[in-house]
Amino acid sequence: MSVRGVLAVAGVECSKLTAQLKTRIVLAACVAGPFAFAAAMRVQSTAPTDTLFGRSVTESGFAVPLVVLGFAALWVFPVLASIVGGDLCSAEDRYGTWTTMLTRSRSRREVFAGKVLTALGFSSLTVAVLAVSSVVAGVLVIGSGALIDLSGSLRSPAHALVGVALAWATVLPPAFGFTALALMLSAGTRNSAAGIGLPVVAALAMQLYAFVDGPDVLRQMLLTSAFGAWHGILTEPPYYGPLIHATTISAVYFVVGLTIAYRMLRHRDIGR
Amino acid sequence: MGFRGLLAIVTTVAAFGCGPSPITSPRIASAIAPTFANLVQVQISRLGMPSMAASDFAVAASCRRLATGSNSGAGDWACTLVWRGPHHQALTDTYDLTVSTDGCYTATIEGEELGGPTIKASDGRDVRNLLYAFEGCFETM
Repeated sequence: MSVRGVLAVAGVECSKLTAQLKTRIVLAACVAGPFAFAAAMRVQSTAPTDTLFGRSVTESGFAVPLVVLGFAALWVFPVLASIVGGDLCSAEDRYGTWTTMLTRSRSRREVFAGKVLTALGFSSLTVAVLAVSSVVAGVLVIGSGALIDLSGSLRSPAHALVGVALAWATVLPPAFGFTALALMLSAGTRNSAAGIGLPVVAALAMQLYAFVDGPDVLRQMLLTSAFGAWHGILTEPPYYGPLIHATTISAVYFVVGLTIAYRMLRHRDIGR
Repeated sequence: MGFRGLLAIVTTVAAFGCGPSPITSPRIASAIAPTFANLVQVQISRLGMPSMAASDFAVAASCRRLATGSNSGAGDWACTLVWRGPHHQALTDTYDLTVSTDGCYTATIEGEELGGPTIKASDGRDVRNLLYAFEGCFETM
């Protein structure tokens, strides 16, 4: 497996993605969504008090990205993480293009690595776009006032911005976990609806479990619990226990998902 | 993995899962007391009163779970805060808490002793009453 080979596959996948309407719609929604939310918060008098930082959303623009973060954890991040990963392998089945692809000079391993790289790249891109758009929307529409954090302390705009950026960065490990699940399901079911839909359904089921006061150990093994690991970053003094745990859990999902996906692809008899 | 392997996993999960919940009275009390003190400090400066340190309010919290059966776990809690007001008067306030499994809580005051959802600042503006309802998080692992 050569790096050049992997990059060549990723390059082809990226050019296919940029030509798709789906990709553009998703990225446009990531840009426009936070602005629509911030504008709605500005005109209406009731605040979304059921979400963390919902009460502060009309006082500090830095609360906007945190409310978006809390809301997106429900189903938006699983959708963003699997919308490309869940389609990358099964699209080759849909169009019957595995045979043409694998007769090229790229090995199966390179094809797989290139697809993984593309899926992870797209997941990171959507999270980054949503993060930047939320911060910009908050600051432009609401203002850059000081933020009251989760321990009741007032944070200066600069300090708040650092916290917001770190909080959004913690979303990447579980998002990659969902991308790996989507790739696995895409390779296993050879069906894009299952590749994209099943990780989202799984995420919703995990969320439901978090509402029930079931065994704590089981709850901590759920990938969606990792989306809440940022709370410790916005308290004073900060705590990182949940963050370390969330990253470990995400890594397990990531490695297991990709290993199964690769094994299925490697052992597949393509061309009959 | 056969039936025995599955049984071993289920037993392990059940054994760990039935242990005490990390959401306990001391943990909630030690989270809400400094958070409340910090919020009083912010509120006072927003109202245009002379600033004070958070430790000046000497907040002490005691919390109990409202559901019967277990005295730990997520759900509804009540915390009584005993503290010293900005004029050094002794105050007691009770908050109803909803604590979620991830260690985040929403506290809403019982009664109107500290004002409604909004209060008037010294210059006549309406400001959000930070002490009417607030939220916070604490470590559960």
